[in-house]
Parts: sequence; C-alpha cells; structure tokens
Amino acid sequence: MSQPSWIGPAGAEPAFEAPREHRLDFRFTGSGSEYFRIWIVNLLLTIVTLGVYYPWAKVRRLRYFYGNTLVGGQPLDFHGNPMTMLRGYVLIAVMGVLYSVAGRFSAVAGLVAFIILAAIWPALLRSSMQFRLANTSWRGLRFRFVGSLGDAYAAFLPAFVPGIAIVAALAAVSDPEQPPAWYAALMGIVSLVALAFAPWLWWKLKKYQHDHYALGPWRTRLTASCGSFYLVFLKTAGAALAAGLLVGVVVSVVAVLGIVGSSLGGSGRSSPLVAMVIGLVLAFTTLLAMQLVPRPYFTSRMQNLLWSRTGNEAMRFGSQLRFWPLFGLTLKNWLLVALTLGLYWPFAAVASQRMRIEAVSVTALVDPDDLIDQARGAEGEAAGDAAGDLFGLDIGL
Amino acid sequence: MGESAGPLVAADYFDGRSARAHPVRLQAAGDRLLIDGPTVSRSVALHEVRWPERTRHGPRVAHLADGASLHCSDSAAWDAWRHAVGSRESLVVRAQQSWRWTLASMVLIVLLLAAGYLWGVPWAARAALTMLPTEVDESVGETALAAIDERLMRPSELPLAQQQRIAGAFARAVAALPAHEVPVHRIVFRKSRIGPNAFALPGGTLVLTDELVKRVSADEAILVGVLGHELGHLRHRHGMRALAQVAALGTVAGLVVGDFSSLLASVPVWLGQAGYSRDAEREADAEAVRVLRAAGFSPAVMVAFFEAMARHDDGGARERSGLEIAIASHPADAERMRFFRDAGAAR
Repeated sequence: MSQPSWIGPAGAEPAFEAPREHRLDFRFTGSGSEYFRIWIVNLLLTIVTLGVYYPWAKVRRLRYFYGNTLVGGQPLDFHGNPMTMLRGYVLIAVMGVLYSVAGRFSAVAGLVAFIILAAIWPALLRSSMQFRLANTSWRGLRFRFVGSLGDAYAAFLPAFVPGIAIVAALAAVSDPEQPPAWYAALMGIVSLVALAFAPWLWWKLKKYQHDHYALGPWRTRLTASCGSFYLVFLKTAGAALAAGLLVGVVVSVVAVLGIVGSSLGGSGRSSPLVAMVIGLVLAFTTLLAMQLVPRPYFTSRMQNLLWSRTGNEAMRFGSQLRFWPLFGLTLKNWLLVALTLGLYWPFAAVASQRMRIEAVSVTALVDPDDLIDQARGAEGEAAGDAAGDLFGLDIGL
Repeated sequence: MGESAGPLVAADYFDGRSARAHPVRLQAAGDRLLIDGPTVSRSVALHEVRWPERTRHGPRVAHLADGASLHCSDSAAWDAWRHAVGSRESLVVRAQQSWRWTLASMVLIVLLLAAGYLWGVPWAARAALTMLPTEVDESVGETALAAIDERLMRPSELPLAQQQRIAGAFARAVAALPAHEVPVHRIVFRKSRIGPNAFALPGGTLVLTDELVKRVSADEAILVGVLGHELGHLRHRHGMRALAQVAALGTVAGLVVGDFSSLLASVPVWLGQAGYSRDAEREADAEAVRVLRAAGFSPAVMVAFFEAMARHDDGGARERSGLEIAIASHPADAERMRFFRDAGAAR
C-alpha cells in the first residue's frame, strides 16, 4: 500500500536491467447458446415484473460478459449491486418523464428543462464512469475512474451548444407553425457547425474517458490527436459514399432489368405486385448498405485508434480489429437476426464481442503480479450508470 | 486445519490489495470456509461469501466481505465441490442452465407478448386516454392539420353551396343520434395533392377532399357514410390511441430487440400498429353503419363507395396477398364491402 512507485517491492530488480515485456492477451470465452438461455430467462423475468427486474438482468449479463473476458488468463468481474442500480433507473425515469412533459408544456419550459439537463449531464456521465469502473475488477483489484468534475464539464458542455441554440430559437419563435425565415437559416447553420465539430466533440469525450482509467498505480492516457479522429470520420464518410454508389449502380441495373422484363412479359396484372416486391428489396438493400458498411468501418477504425493510443510509460494497449472480418460478421448477424425474428441476437452479441475483445492486447513493462492497489476510487452513483444505459453512452469496449 | 476431511478444491486467492495470486485449497467445515495455502491461512463464515453462479463457460470468482476474492478456472471441479458441500442453486440459475426451462420461458414470453398485444396495450392505451384531457387532442390535431395543409393540401375549390349541402346532410344524420354519443366535430374541405381521401384528426377536425366528393359524384348518402366512419375514429379517439399504442409497442420492441438494432425494432411496431389500425377501421365502419341508419340510408350504399374508389385505382380489381394485408393499415376492401352489404341486408 505504501509503495509509491509502480515497480513493486523496492529492490526486486536491479535498476540497470532492461525491463522485461509482459504481453497480456484478451480472450473471450462466452458462448452464444449459453447467453441465449441467460437472455431468455432475463427477458421473461423482466416482462413478468414489468421492468423492475431489469437491473438484475443487467448485472447477470455484465457478469457473464466480464467473467468470460480473460486478460492474461484472468477474468474481469462486475460487482454492481442491482438494488442500487434500480434506484438509479427510477431516478432517471422520473427525470426523463419530467423532461418530456416540460417540452410539451411550452417551448420556454422545454428550454429550461434542456438547460437543467445539460447542467447535470456531465456530472451524471462522470458518475456513470466511476460506478462502472469501481465495480469492475481484475485479479482482485478494482478499477477506478479518476476524471475530475471540472474536466467532465469542459469535455461535455460544448456538445450541448447546438441543442441549446435550437431550443432557444424555438422558444423565441412566436408561432411554431409559421417559423420565420431566420429560423430555417439558423437551423441550417447550427447543423453544419455541429457536423463540422462532431469529430472534435467525440475526441474530447474519448479523451476525457481514456485519460482517466486507473488500476492500482496505473493510470491511462490517450495520445491520439484530434486530427486522427477527423481522419477516421472522413474515411467513414468515404466508405459510406462508396457503399452508396455501389447500391446506386445495383438499383439502376435492377430498374433497367425490371423495365425490360415487364415490357417483354407484358403481364400487366401482376406488375404492380412485382414492382412493390422489387421496391421493398431495393429499399432494404439500401438501408442495409448504409448501416452495414459505415458502422463496422467506424467501429474497427475507432477501436484501433483509441486502444492502440491508450496507455502510459509502463503499459500500453494494442488493438488490431480488421474491417473485412467485422463486416462479414455484421452481415451474417443482421441476416440471421432478421431471419430468426430476433432470436439470433444473443449469438450475434457474443460473436461480435469475441471479435472485438480478442483484437485487443496489453503490453506491460511490469509483472502484473506486482501491481498494488493504492486507493479505492469513489463508487459513483448508479444513476449515472443508468443514464448512460438509457441514452446509449457507454465506455465502448 | 482441515482435519474434518471434507471435499477440497484448489483456487487462487487475491487479497484485493495486490494483484498477486496465492494458491490455496478451499474446504467447508461446518458453517466456516477454510482457505489454506503456503502464503494464506484464514477462515470466513460461509454465509458472508458471495458465491458465483454456475455457468458452462467462464471461471468461478467468489467474493469475501473484505474485498478479497477466490478464483478458480477449473469450473467443473468447483461446481462438483459446491455440490458436495451441499449448496443450493437459485431457480434462475437452474433455469438459465436448462434448455427445457429456456424453451418453457420462450413459450411463456410468446404467450405474454400475444396477450399484451391483444388486451394489454389496447386496455392501457384506453386507460391512459381517460386521464388525458381533450385539450391535448385538440393541440395535436391543430399541429397535424397545419403540417398537412402545408405539404399535402390546398384550399378547396368546391362551391360553397355544395360544401354547405354536404355539411347539412351530415348534421341532420348526426342529429338523429343520442347527443352524448356524438363527439365535438367540424368538417373542413380541402383540395388534395394525394388523391381522394377523408380523415379525422384528434380534437374533432374531419377533413374531406374535393377529389373524394367528385369520385362518388357528390352522392349524399355515401358522403354521410364516409363522414360517419371518420366520426367513429373521433368517438373512439383512435388517433390518440394510435399514438399511445405505438409508444407502448415501441417500448416492448425496444426491450426485446432494441439492443441489437432500433431499425429492426421498428418492424414489429409497424406491423403491430397496422393490426390495431385495421381493428380501428372496423370500429369506425360500425359507426358509419349507425350514422347511415340514423339518417335513414341503407349501409349498403357504401358498397358503391368502394367500387368507385377501386375503379380508378389501377384499372384492375384490388386483390391483395396475405403479405399485403399484414402490412396494410385498412382491412381488405372485400371484407369491408361484405360488412356494409350484410349491414344493409340486416335492416
């Protein structure tokens, strides 16, 4: 406990000897069929209890996924208390209802509610990170999240500026059914600016997270630059564009074939139905291509960028998640989930978790055996974890 | 230690302060757990240990009250030891590990979802609406009308006298009904950009398009029937009910498949709402029959309405496959025509 350095017991190694590298691989040992059973039972209990069981279901799910994530042969573990988490969910649900009611009441009330939300949101997110990490352990050591409240506000508040501008403008418009010309212009400008700053906001958010993970004496830093985030966003846009062009070519070919086919066949009666089926197929192709290409592309590039740039002088993460295997897996998952009406989803979740986890590794200059816990982190509020869950924000690995 | 020779299992002990693993042997003696190894020797009360649940994959980790933990990667040996010690598993764990229980759970989920769809959601939507003041309907209807006027409609070009004649005929028909069964309503005429149509907006606005009036050659009886149908939507607050039902379906669908994709989660919501909508149309058709009868018209006049609508649609008969009916917001024309014809005959 009193050891100030991360080198472990003093004098354990002579100072002049080059430190040996310890490579810790990530393995995921969960199985789709087992998670399927856990998921079904969780789902039944959640439905029967009208949702009250949800925190217990979540703890079971996390414990299964964490317990099957082996880092250097040792599992992660989740310690969250479902009862604490339930209180968090109730609080968040009440806040959510108040927020949506305020918006219906009047535009000014909506603005006030949005500002209040923006004011507590960074604190909630920080709380969520603290809760999640303080309740995660490896080799008996609890992780910590050491980001300060001030940094949380600095990282997250810019993200609310476009929203506040829009809600404030809406409150200033006297007749929402006949918005003045400046309102539409403002919308356009705000959207463009928000789009241009999105990679920067994402970078600030990720930097706040990855700069403040801690285990024992280790604390991580993110060394990725803001420019590299812009590059990933641009490349993703390029990938989406390429997919869109490909779909465009396919659509034109099918359309031409359809015209030729219908003029040759000449069966006027069945053509509306055929046209509808073709239209549906094309619509789904387009949707899938827009979903199927950019998302795995962004996921793989962003995970690699984030985790190969996270570490400190004593340890470093690495990530080699490749796009094509992830694309193939996403395609397979989508098809099978759709064909089985959702029943394949637990298998899909396990398979993509395996691919993403097993792409990661850690290289440490210290024997993990010598890690000593220095301080127990603040536990954070479960409400934060619930908020992150409801609004779709999570640590991301 | 360990004289009361119970079964043993090997594990790694972590003290919670250092990441170093200490090999130990575990043994239960009475109500104590004995932890014994070259570097560790302690005993804790069995009930203070937070035991791991049995899974087929993944190691076992037990937590002690002071933050120490016991890891065992030989799960089979651990489970055998726990069994030999006489520990009982929770029902949830046993269900999760049994395909029979899983299948039973799936059947139960399907039954619950079906019951929820057939009775639960409509009942909850109706109950929610009784608490919702009608002012909300009016404001929703106003917003909707403004949006529709902007994109889909133009001012009516029907002569004012004809508009008044239609409104008058409907007012006389409705006057014959008991007053408390007639919701507040007003008829507005519009020229449509999307073909002949009529619809009811929450709060009491009935929109009738010029195109529909022309399509039925301004036949008064048919127009009373059409407006009676829309009045049925108002009386049952179908528009608001649809909003509540979509919200409820969305919540359930999000719970079941939303983790995977919100796009896929929207499909059951869409299909489910189409089913509710077909039921609502049937209710509204029943109202149309009531209004027609009150006005002294035969409900069978509506058969001519469907024929007039079909004649112009795509030249052919409107026969639909099962798939089309499943995704349609209205029941098949043939079914509705049969309904009105039967209602006319039953008179």
